[in-house]
Amino acid sequence: MRKIGIAALLAASTLAMSGANAQDLPQSADPYFTNAQALIAEMAARQPNTGKAKNVILLIADGQGVGTNYAIRLFAGQQEGKLGEEHVLPYETAEYHSALVKTYNLNAQTPDSAPTAGSMNTGIKQRFNLINLGPNAFTEDCSTEEANKLTTFSEIVSEAGKSVGVVSTARLTHATPAAVYAKTAYRNWEAEAPEGCTDIAVQLIDAMEAGTIDVAMAGGARNFVPMNAETSFGGKSSRKDETDLIARATAFGTTFVTDKASLDAASGDKILGLFTNSDMAYEYDRTETEPSLADMTAAAIKALSTNENGFYLEVEAGRVDHANHAGNLYRALTDGLAFIDAVKIADELTNDEDTLIIVTADHEHAIAFNGYCGRGTPIEGLCMGISNEGLEHNGELETAADGKPYSVVGYLNGAGSVLTEQAGAYFGTRPIATQEEAIDPDYLQQALIPMSSESHSGEDVAVYAKGPWAHLFDGTIEQNYIFHVMNHAVAAN
Amino acid sequence: MKRRTFMLATAAAATTLILPARAADDIKLRDLYNKDLSFSDMALANQDKIVDVSGYMAPPLKAESAFFVLTRMPMSFCPFCDSEATWPSDIIAVYARDTVTVQPFNVGIVVTGTLELGTYRDPDLGFVSRVRLTNAEYRRS
Repeated sequence: MRKIGIAALLAASTLAMSGANAQDLPQSADPYFTNAQALIAEMAARQPNTGKAKNVILLIADGQGVGTNYAIRLFAGQQEGKLGEEHVLPYETAEYHSALVKTYNLNAQTPDSAPTAGSMNTGIKQRFNLINLGPNAFTEDCSTEEANKLTTFSEIVSEAGKSVGVVSTARLTHATPAAVYAKTAYRNWEAEAPEGCTDIAVQLIDAMEAGTIDVAMAGGARNFVPMNAETSFGGKSSRKDETDLIARATAFGTTFVTDKASLDAASGDKILGLFTNSDMAYEYDRTETEPSLADMTAAAIKALSTNENGFYLEVEAGRVDHANHAGNLYRALTDGLAFIDAVKIADELTNDEDTLIIVTADHEHAIAFNGYCGRGTPIEGLCMGISNEGLEHNGELETAADGKPYSVVGYLNGAGSVLTEQAGAYFGTRPIATQEEAIDPDYLQQALIPMSSESHSGEDVAVYAKGPWAHLFDGTIEQNYIFHVMNHAVAAN
Repeated sequence: MKRRTFMLATAAAATTLILPARAADDIKLRDLYNKDLSFSDMALANQDKIVDVSGYMAPPLKAESAFFVLTRMPMSFCPFCDSEATWPSDIIAVYARDTVTVQPFNVGIVVTGTLELGTYRDPDLGFVSRVRLTNAEYRRS
């Protein structure tokens, strides 16, 4: 043992010396070596920002856990002509501190987006289906709401004089945006609620009137117009009363916008944007009249920045999640690119000195990755073999034991299931897909367990942050800790 | 049945018998719409003609019916995506010749029928459609 111990010490010593003389190593000219050396220098020079955060921007890609984010990284790189694996997303640089995040809900191993967003906005874990209520409130039990209402970050910072905004590509009343302003025993009470409780759409307009929300933009106009009325897009109302919430908002001075042109022309510091009846379009299907997530983010920052005390803005890419639910990776990836654009514009329009930018997800999906694929295999397509002498894949489709090719990405469950119902039972054989079919935007990656909607998973997500107190993100954290970093950063002296 | 429709349907059936594998010529549902959901040139060029359209059978609205909705992707109902069932914008209402044998929601089908364009409200179901395939037959793709 003693002999081994000395040998280990010698080995460690040799490593330390070689570290000091890195340029003498045969691998020292390799770009991976020099890039890593440069990163060492950058990391060593990092100084924590212990200033006060004037602004906080929390960017959440719904359903974009570590796995989905990996797929988006490769897709983004491949769109730029790279092999993809080497690509670095804007929030994956040394400018950002990062941590892994545990996303479970108080009573659920597999989380949903309501309590996850709620935990980021209040600082404690919450129950499945609920938004911003304490542990003694229960799903669809209106009587448990009042005594369990929590205080939100938007209430805390607006009390301190800041403005608050929320933008999303889902409906404005959907779980993640609702967590900025609403408190409800059921996330689906978007346009109606039982006697004694207030639906989420009304809660938004109440919050705007109270001054705890200043800017709100997303889809979901149908939840804001009176029953029997049509939205400006010709859609039916989901309300069960005659309340005209848009008229209420404009009556207290809110600018109401419905498309990109009216958003671009909007002025003032109180804006309500409702751009579609239900969710906004997937980025792949979006027309030019509909603002992108980056357009909404930029407009929100412009309006909120008029407050010299600063602002809190939550930005949600709401439909990475929906595309994963559909088992349609392509649209998850293209909505992921739209999220990246939103992160970039948020960074460009603010100053690292006084703005805490947090990039994260609320939960992951039942997404998984097959092997062994060569470099540059299209992440949305079929797995290609590894080249022995080159870097890029060998151009040949890998096949499974059934002799058929398979996509890199698979879902553990969902509509892409290879099992189909036949005479009351489920049987299956994998369909053969060509590469052309697999990279088609409408392709559903093969899945195992048949479900009409692919599910979330409880796997970790990542959080990346820069700006004041971003260095408090490190290691593996509970999701509710994100609130505490935001709260610490705005309160710091 | 109108004589013209019947003759076209017969011709279509005959074609199917002679050329059973027409999959390469299938119209994809998305090809019928532009991004702003106006009708595409392909849709207008094939109006009132017999066409093959590939897609998925959504779970029927009514049992023992000749009507179903054809969707671009399997019609998944996601409890977290929406609080109420919302049809995608780009769907086709299919009026089949016979009572529909329900197909699993995740099995691709090809529907052969007469392409009708324009808003139509089904008097029985109240279902409003902009594109229909009438006198239709379908097979697994």
